[in-house]
Amino acid sequence: MNFLVASIESLGAKVTGWFIVGYDIFAFLTQSLLLLLDRSTWNRATFDVVVKQVYFTAVQILPVFLGYVLVISWLIITIILTTARDFGLTGFASEMTIRVLVLELLPFLTALFIALRSGSAINTEVALMRVNNELDALEHCKVPPMQFEFLPRLIGGVVSVVTLAGLAGLLALLLSYLSIYGLSMAGFEAFTQIIAKIFNLNILFGLIAKCALFGLAVTLIPITAGLETPKKLFMVPVSVLRGMMRVFFAIVAIEVVSLALKYI
Amino acid sequence: MAALPDDVARVALELPLRANLTALDNIALIPLYQRHFTAGESVKQAQAMLEQLGYAGIAPLRDPDMTPAQRFVTQLARALILGRSRLVIDRPGAMLYDVSYPDFIRQLAEQTSSTGTWDIYDFSWNQILYSQALDPE
Repeated sequence: MNFLVASIESLGAKVTGWFIVGYDIFAFLTQSLLLLLDRSTWNRATFDVVVKQVYFTAVQILPVFLGYVLVISWLIITIILTTARDFGLTGFASEMTIRVLVLELLPFLTALFIALRSGSAINTEVALMRVNNELDALEHCKVPPMQFEFLPRLIGGVVSVVTLAGLAGLLALLLSYLSIYGLSMAGFEAFTQIIAKIFNLNILFGLIAKCALFGLAVTLIPITAGLETPKKLFMVPVSVLRGMMRVFFAIVAIEVVSLALKYI
Repeated sequence: MAALPDDVARVALELPLRANLTALDNIALIPLYQRHFTAGESVKQAQAMLEQLGYAGIAPLRDPDMTPAQRFVTQLARALILGRSRLVIDRPGAMLYDVSYPDFIRQLAEQTSSTGTWDIYDFSWNQILYSQALDPE
């Protein structure tokens, strides 16, 4: 009996904890959106920090990211083409490549890439700032941490994931064409028709929305996880661990919901 | 410590610098965000403040690369550039453990053009250090 009560209590505590975390994330997002609408937010100083964030998150990693996209895309395209040929479905290879790579796999991998590189760094930095009282010092100096530290990271994350996923998609399309038709222009019309057929407005809007949500997840969750770190240095790794687990589940959840909306 | 009124600038161990910013950027944040100066003008003001304190050379240093005295000077410059009427230095011994701090703070105070009042809060058992600094004999 005692075991049952303890289990129910433990489950209840966990569920309450999840609700509190969810509420904190939602409250932070609402605050950020309200600040975005505030004209005073858009000063030169905030804009400069946003540009720096986009540079650190997207531009700095561009060569490595493009190399990684090239290898992954080439592998997946080769697998799809070989399988399509084996089953006599070569005609569907282009569509399959675009649907699998450009719409699903590359945005997902881009989000994972940014989460591992920038999300973990953001989580650690915010946790350290909280533990070391740096946020209190900024508030004492009347420098708003939201405008100076958090909002630029959120905007930087969204812009970076959307643009990197877009760039990865374009590269995959080019690679896909070259793999199927080679350097000949013979298949250009058929290929562009397939692209036009797949990328209707709904799909395009859905893809951008999904990438924007990925971008939010890889920045918003690490920031809130960092902010809830107790003021103890040894809790920083725990904060990063929790934050990154939440980011992973959020990315998977966004992908699953997007797939369900598209195909079910 | 209870919340201080808005006209008080505080220098304390609990109010550290932003670790990933240079001394200059830590100080320049204030004119940039509070008074909406341009980045160039804010940096100029921050540099002038460091020069006034006689520590222009620490401008490119980040917190972990500074000595306790350099860190204190940066925190002080950040507090002074706030332009508040009262400056509170809270337990300076906790920050300035490598220098004779009553003399050090007096020298810095003499170098600035600050018109506000400077208050030092310290432990009662350190009172003797201040008397010694006032009376070198």
